[in-house]
Amino acid sequence: MVAVQKSGTFQFLVGKVNEVLQDAIGAPIRYLANWGRLYSLWPVHLETACCSVEVGAAAGSRFDMERFGALEAFGSLRQCDLLIVMGTVTRKLAPRLKLIYDQMAEPKWVIAMGACAITGGLYFDSYNVLRGIDDIIPVDVFVPGCPPRAEALLQGLVLLQEKIRKSQSLRGV
Amino acid sequence: MAVETEYVPDADKIMNVSLGPQHPGSGHFRIKLWLDGDYVVRAEPDPGYVHRGEEKMAEYRNYIQNVPHLERPVILDSCGILFPYALGVDELMGNKVPPRGQYLSVIMAELNRIISHMYFLGIYGVFMGHTTMITWAMGDREMFIDIAERIGGARVTFAYIIPGGVRNDMPDGLKERALKTCDWFDKRIQEYEKIFLYNPLFEGRTRKVGILSRDDAIRLGTTGTVLRASGVNSDIRKDEPYSVYQDFDFNVPVSNDGDSWARLWVAIEEMKESLKILRQAFTKIPDGPVRLKLGPQPRVPAGEVYTRTEAARGEMSYHIVSDGTPRPYRLKIGVPSFKNMRVLPHLLKGCHIAYSANLLEFEFLAGRIG
Repeated sequence: MVAVQKSGTFQFLVGKVNEVLQDAIGAPIRYLANWGRLYSLWPVHLETACCSVEVGAAAGSRFDMERFGALEAFGSLRQCDLLIVMGTVTRKLAPRLKLIYDQMAEPKWVIAMGACAITGGLYFDSYNVLRGIDDIIPVDVFVPGCPPRAEALLQGLVLLQEKIRKSQSLRGV
Repeated sequence: MAVETEYVPDADKIMNVSLGPQHPGSGHFRIKLWLDGDYVVRAEPDPGYVHRGEEKMAEYRNYIQNVPHLERPVILDSCGILFPYALGVDELMGNKVPPRGQYLSVIMAELNRIISHMYFLGIYGVFMGHTTMITWAMGDREMFIDIAERIGGARVTFAYIIPGGVRNDMPDGLKERALKTCDWFDKRIQEYEKIFLYNPLFEGRTRKVGILSRDDAIRLGTTGTVLRASGVNSDIRKDEPYSVYQDFDFNVPVSNDGDSWARLWVAIEEMKESLKILRQAFTKIPDGPVRLKLGPQPRVPAGEVYTRTEAARGEMSYHIVSDGTPRPYRLKIGVPSFKNMRVLPHLLKGCHIAYSANLLEFEFLAGRIG
């Protein structure tokens, strides 16, 4: 038995079967999971700064984020899978932001909205502002602007959905 | 309803709850609550999550560079918050702003007041769990954003009112469109009153909740809608008219109830008054230049000035100290919501926890505490 396991033919066969199984079973499951996830994004309600106004507008009736499959931010943290960082993150908020990200259940995605969340923006030389949130949490989509228009946020959302659609792992990352 | 009887809480049973900064409806600040069962024993607001050091930043930027970052603390009301800054710098430099520029700044300030109050209505709806209210308010708000966008060139941050006047003239043909929108919104407000304000269910949740008496409102130093809802007739546009506000005919809505409902009523009435001002401003606006040519780095003579205006949330003030260099020596910002926040511990005490979110309604703009 030991001899057989070590033989190249057996390993080749196992690899082949794995490959076939992944294509035949894994791919449809992945596709289904990704498809389910990308149209039911639920954002966390964390208003870090002034970009929240444009998130409010995007969730409002003219732009209506819901038609793209992202709900309004009313849910509990444990149900949420999208963290939109709406603008400036200060030193006081940074530990809370990390805590909130850690508390969210996987799979989870992050959109960094506005110049402040990306690089510190207008407040790059302020003593109390973080220069970009990607120092503390991983970011999937950057939406530039100060603040970005509601349409820009929707575009960011669509880009994130494209990313989720192509996700290769069942964990969604 | 708020509890009216005095009761002594049992120290062993008190639970400590943190409302925010991540909470649907808290905005960017936190309230520490001490609860006895369902009742709030003590409340302590914890602001500072958006402290961005604006005042320090202002000291190493010149007077024109300061414009964009000073409008961001209250981004909804970006022209209302910039108004006193521009007035202050003008006063220090002795600028005489052309009348068309003054009219345009009033127009933008009033448009921003409506935009801000509509957002307030929407957020009020969120706190109440009233989805119709947020969708209506957010949708109708866009009509005024459209007009403001035609004038200022952006959706929320215009950097429009600058020292020496306004940045640019308004486009041709905007007047007719703006007047049409004002007429449409006049009718729309009546629907708002019917569906939200005088709805028995809505009244049941907001009447007699968080009553702030006239004396307390004055003692705790509130401003704006909160102060006027408590029966104090105070509006800086009337009391010390700045810019061209003395040319317009409008009223100051005052309610004697002092409760949550009255604060909403005052906001809705104020929007009606803003429409009145807008109509008069668009018809009376004179021709001419809109700003003085100051150059990119204006020199401001040494001196200090304190200016205050009525922004959407209340009294907005700046204290500018200049030492003759192109940069301010010190700039102190006085924001209305920070003044109003002092009321929260007072109002939340003895209140039902379910109503506490309700009381946050006048605090939703916590971003200005930077």
